[in-house]
Amino acid sequence: MDKVTTQKTVSNPSPQTIKPVGKDSGKPQGAFGDMLKQAVTEINQLQNNADKAITGVQLGQSGSIHEAMIALEKADISFRAMMQVRNKILDAYQEIMRMQV
Amino acid sequence: MDFITSFDISASGLSAQRKKMDVIVSNLANASTIQTPEGGPYKRKVVVLAAEPVNSKFGSALNDALSQVKVQEIFEDGEGLKKVHDPTHPNADDQGFVTYPNVNVMTEMADMITVNRAYEACVTALDVTKNMALKALDIGK
Repeated sequence: MDKVTTQKTVSNPSPQTIKPVGKDSGKPQGAFGDMLKQAVTEINQLQNNADKAITGVQLGQSGSIHEAMIALEKADISFRAMMQVRNKILDAYQEIMRMQV
Repeated sequence: MDFITSFDISASGLSAQRKKMDVIVSNLANASTIQTPEGGPYKRKVVVLAAEPVNSKFGSALNDALSQVKVQEIFEDGEGLKKVHDPTHPNADDQGFVTYPNVNVMTEMADMITVNRAYEACVTALDVTKNMALKALDIGK
């Protein structure tokens, strides 16, 4: 029963929830790009942190092994997450390119 | 990224256990040290851990309930110094007694096992968090 009600809401969305897509729709242009850029910057920052941490451990300067390993794991997981987003975007793009007009 | 909060809490636990380990090693190494820069024998050091709110950038009410661990202080336990009668010793006092540290090797070994297990637990928690994040990335594959 739950499923049916959910489907109903999806198929009949209230008019208020639909936002007009056009020139007068505020500032959504580039919003997705900005978000992507921010995400990539954040991931790059994590990669740099991992680099710094592992260099510190190797040179015996500062930081402990577990901190370096955790920095590496953070960088690894965020990079994998970014790859998944990229795969999804590419899939969507190719789906549109295959579309018959 | 929400899993980073778990990582940070685990990291604080690992750092705290490492600090405890450092102190235990210091106690063991100085188990029979009778001279210190402050004078007198070495006194056993004890680590005091304290909870600390997680400093996450999200700052939600849910994260306020979480706390990570930090080393509050390292205090000296001055109780139970051993006095041994040894008049020929260069560090003997007027009555011929030498004061030895209050380090009990058995206690330190037991503490060491506890620290080791706590460290392992933190690493396991970290691994589970990582596996959960990787599993989440498999959604829809």
